[in-house]
Amino acid sequence: MTGPLYIAGLAVAFAGILVAFYAIMRESDDFHRILLTDLAEILALVLIALVATDLAEALILPGLVVGISELMAVSEVYLVKEGLFRPQYPPLSIEVMDTAPAILTLALVAYGIVLSGFTGGAVAGVGAVFYMMCRGHDERFAVIEAASGYAWALWIAAFFIFMVAPQYWLFAVMTAGGALLLKVAGKMSLVGTMRGGSNE
Amino acid sequence: MNAEFLLGMALLAIGVVAVAFPRDRRYLTRLISLEIPAFGLLLIMLSYDETIALLTFIAVTAIATFVLTRVLERRGEA
Repeated sequence: MTGPLYIAGLAVAFAGILVAFYAIMRESDDFHRILLTDLAEILALVLIALVATDLAEALILPGLVVGISELMAVSEVYLVKEGLFRPQYPPLSIEVMDTAPAILTLALVAYGIVLSGFTGGAVAGVGAVFYMMCRGHDERFAVIEAASGYAWALWIAAFFIFMVAPQYWLFAVMTAGGALLLKVAGKMSLVGTMRGGSNE
Repeated sequence: MNAEFLLGMALLAIGVVAVAFPRDRRYLTRLISLEIPAFGLLLIMLSYDETIALLTFIAVTAIATFVLTRVLERRGEA
């Protein structure tokens, strides 16, 4: 970890951070600034990744989650501030986006259920996002929220099983994994509705 | 490990310059150029065996691109 390579990496990362913030300082357009903020986030993650232990992974994961939610919030604020509520262009008609979603989503969701847990939820959620982006959507948000709430309760129940009856650990692991899958997939599928539809 | 690390660092440096000082200042150019430093970061993570961080970064980058594209299609090209 403390070799000449690590020092060189630190130097490159710090030089990159200086360049990125100089560019943000020079920039006057707000959306360009948002894009440059994304660059600054990548450079901050490089700095953490250079730690090169399990600690780095433990620090990068919350950093990524906070980064994406911050990006969503900032872009939403930007849209409201500029008064941009409708897309300026008609939606693209790409042939693949009509034929592929069903089979691709099926494969992704099936693989996500096999993986289970956080990673499985992310994989299944990507499938749902893709489907909703391509086919449009008319789901009721209350149902997704309810499923998410039950999943959270199941997750907590699984932790109680771990503490009270540790001999049923396999059941608890499966419950927690399934609940987390449902929760992450449900939340991620909400992202797929961001393009706007009958609910907006 | 060294080859991946050095390649990642080189991509990172090139990408930072490409995003910070693009030749034509358009949103789409900058958005696409952002993939270069991101790929550098992926190679650095790969060289240190940070698997979960790498996979999550890929997923989060896909969503981030989607969020930024959504702003772009409402903002219009400038």
